[in-house]
Amino acid sequence: MRSPFAYIPRRGPLQSARPGAAVAYLGSLVVVAFLYSSPAVLLAAGFAACLAGWLAGAWTAVRAALRMGLGLAVLIVVVNALVVDRGETVLARLGEVPILGQVDITLEAIVAGVSIGMRAAVTMVAFGIYSACVDPDRVLRALRPIAARSALTATLVSRLVPVAAADAGRLRDAGQLRGPGSAPVGKGALARRLLAGSLDRAVDVAATLELRGYSLDVPRGRRRREPSRHDVRFYAVAAAVLAVAIVGKVAGADDFHPYPTIHVGLGAATLAVCAIVAVSGLAPLRVRGRAVARHRGSARRRSPWPRSHFSAGSADRGRRPRPTRGLTERERLRVLGAARSRGAAPPSPREEHRV
Amino acid sequence: MSELAIRRGAAPALAVEGLSYSYARAAAPALLDVSVEVAPGEFVLLAGRSASGKSTLLRAACGLVPHFHGGEVEGRVEVAGLDAIASGPGELAAAVGYVAQDPETQVVSTTVAAEIELPLEMRGDGPGDRARAVEEVALALAIPHLLGRAVDTLSGGELQRVALSAALVTRPRLVLLDEPTSQLDPVSGDELIWLLRRLNEEWGVAVVLAEHRLERCLAAADRVVAMEDGGVGFDGSPREFLAWTRDSDPALTTPAARLFSLAGIEPLPVGVRDARRTLGDAPTSEGLTGPEHRQPFTRPKGPRAFAAKGLWVELDSGEGARDVLRGIELAVAPGERVALMGRNGAGKSTLLRTAAGLIDPVAGRVAAERMALLTQNPGDFLVRERVGDELPGLEGRDALRAVGMEHAIEADPRDLSGGERQRLALAIALAGRLEGDGVPGLVALDEPTRGMDCARKEDLHKLVECLAAGGAAIVIATHDVEFAAEFAERVVLLGDGVVIADGPSAEILSGGWYFATEVARVLDRPGVVTPEQGAAHLAERAG
Repeated sequence: MRSPFAYIPRRGPLQSARPGAAVAYLGSLVVVAFLYSSPAVLLAAGFAACLAGWLAGAWTAVRAALRMGLGLAVLIVVVNALVVDRGETVLARLGEVPILGQVDITLEAIVAGVSIGMRAAVTMVAFGIYSACVDPDRVLRALRPIAARSALTATLVSRLVPVAAADAGRLRDAGQLRGPGSAPVGKGALARRLLAGSLDRAVDVAATLELRGYSLDVPRGRRRREPSRHDVRFYAVAAAVLAVAIVGKVAGADDFHPYPTIHVGLGAATLAVCAIVAVSGLAPLRVRGRAVARHRGSARRRSPWPRSHFSAGSADRGRRPRPTRGLTERERLRVLGAARSRGAAPPSPREEHRV
Repeated sequence: MSELAIRRGAAPALAVEGLSYSYARAAAPALLDVSVEVAPGEFVLLAGRSASGKSTLLRAACGLVPHFHGGEVEGRVEVAGLDAIASGPGELAAAVGYVAQDPETQVVSTTVAAEIELPLEMRGDGPGDRARAVEEVALALAIPHLLGRAVDTLSGGELQRVALSAALVTRPRLVLLDEPTSQLDPVSGDELIWLLRRLNEEWGVAVVLAEHRLERCLAAADRVVAMEDGGVGFDGSPREFLAWTRDSDPALTTPAARLFSLAGIEPLPVGVRDARRTLGDAPTSEGLTGPEHRQPFTRPKGPRAFAAKGLWVELDSGEGARDVLRGIELAVAPGERVALMGRNGAGKSTLLRTAAGLIDPVAGRVAAERMALLTQNPGDFLVRERVGDELPGLEGRDALRAVGMEHAIEADPRDLSGGERQRLALAIALAGRLEGDGVPGLVALDEPTRGMDCARKEDLHKLVECLAAGGAAIVIATHDVEFAAEFAERVVLLGDGVVIADGPSAEILSGGWYFATEVARVLDRPGVVTPEQGAAHLAERAG
């Protein structure tokens, strides 16, 4: 079973972008989360991260990160409520508790905990998207010229983690399959066995790396350049988000004070920051090119060339031709001729009429 | 046949002279005065029993020995003119490709394209050259559709092809393969061998292939080198090799050659086509393999050691849930020996794991009486340093006795041979599941013959027969058709999660092409699957 955070190759803008661009974009959302404590801005950052993950096709990773992040957030809220006794709205007095002393649960401490928890949740979602959308091979390739040994270690680890996870699963199964008369497998014995197995595996993976020539020094200047047309978009969005976040912070957009009583400011500056951060979640949106638009009805009618002028792919073969109303007689004959050559039936009168 | 491609007289693709090698802290040398030469464009099959030195020789040829494994080395190894002992595996990577047995540890990148491209990148090739080389090797190995996939979503066969692509992408003069088909089903295994043959003929790549299942690849080889106790026992043509095995090591012979030996026919055949040509008997349908001539198979009545009724299992491999088993109906009686066969991913292991309670079915029922399941890696069962600690008490002693291992109670599992480790793992699974007379209910083994030589298979066969004779039902999931023909009385063939054939082994293993023994493919007679049956058939025909 694959981890929900495992990288899945896709052709989306976020996956195609250079690791630097993707990191800059996702990092800008994390920076916003750490820069602001206003729940409104944090909510916007969380929304942007989830939207970005959904548009990038990493919804499984987002869901898993949200589950983990919200679990962590709840833990933070509970701990904050127990250890912070600031705030005027006391919800419960728990009295004297060993180690903690006098414990009063206040609404303000809970809300402050929610704010910190949201920060953690946004960070986890951003890391989840990074893990599912950024190709680790490209990251390691980028890292290799800077720190060859670290890249080698990271490569070994990144390969060994799934292998060790599979080994652990197999050992667990074997533990369950042992007969009731055999010695039970303790966690210690299992861990020792897994460690020994992982070392053997590491040797095998290292041997493969040797055979691929990993120990050779790559000649300078021949390293891969992997530009993407989406890089500019992500860098620009990251820069815009960071600029707005900094300017907003200076302008007082982070208008939130949990103590002594809760104050959440929703002034123009805050709302503007929220809107811009939320909209930044659209950055991974795939923008369709003109070639796709050509297939749509409106574009088709405007086109000076009939559809048959473009080479028909295998998917077109045998399909009924598009209705020919609205075309000149010459174009109409061309379309029908092309359809006949593909062995397709002519459009029905009803289809003709619909146009 | 590729003698045209073999450029005799040119610098050899591999030249080994007087090579002796001992692993660090090993009691005995792994290689002893080995001298072998492989000409450019030659296809050499490396035969031999387990631990005879095949893998070590391949590792020496790619530079892993001694550079990676350490130890003491003597002699000379040259690969395409490069001194393999002086150069490391990295320097040799452009001249030699190496594919090992376990495809899981042979991939180091996340995506297939990155994995194939890595050796070129390490060599410093430009982006254009790399893109073209990746495209070409992907086309040659029929995997362009996999280029964008993540490696952890690939099947064993696909992964093995990716590893082969990464080994071939630098256009090496020599490619070394260490039992690459051991984890593949017969279809994928045959495809890989013929793919190698095609690359050997079209690209002129010299191939050295170490294999146990010789019937699969002998016909593709130009030459056979048989290793014996670290030395070269035989070096010659495939036909000469078969004659040599008859006198020196019958365990290495192929089923078709054994058939001919038993029937007293000469010359011994190197493959199915050769055998048919010698017999002068083109395959005749004679309607004998048609369904109307099959004996109706009756399901066992009475007590059942294993029963599955309308069994549905759904698994999620990360790309969405899919039904792996779809309404399986199966019953196995005590004492019955059943081979569970089918291509990779057909649902064999899932069926066994569901019966053992490792997976919950989504619908239907499964019941297995006192089931002991041995998974594909027996080593996973061994977690302690003394056999007696793994199996304490009377129940442990009984289990050791059931597999004939009571003598090894003080031994360290790591010091046992491969076959003994497998027996010990089985004893661990059996402990506490034996009835008073030492008989288990159901013994299931998942791919137990993977990487085994004939001698070890024979030991396993005897053990299985002994357990079945005591009344245990035996179910073995296997790709090894020859082993299935020897041990099983019934074969259940799975395809895409459903039972597509269920009947006597002689009928099922003679009624197809991929899931048929070599003898069945030679003679094409229903019910004739083993060399003994084939020899009897030929004697009857001659009479």
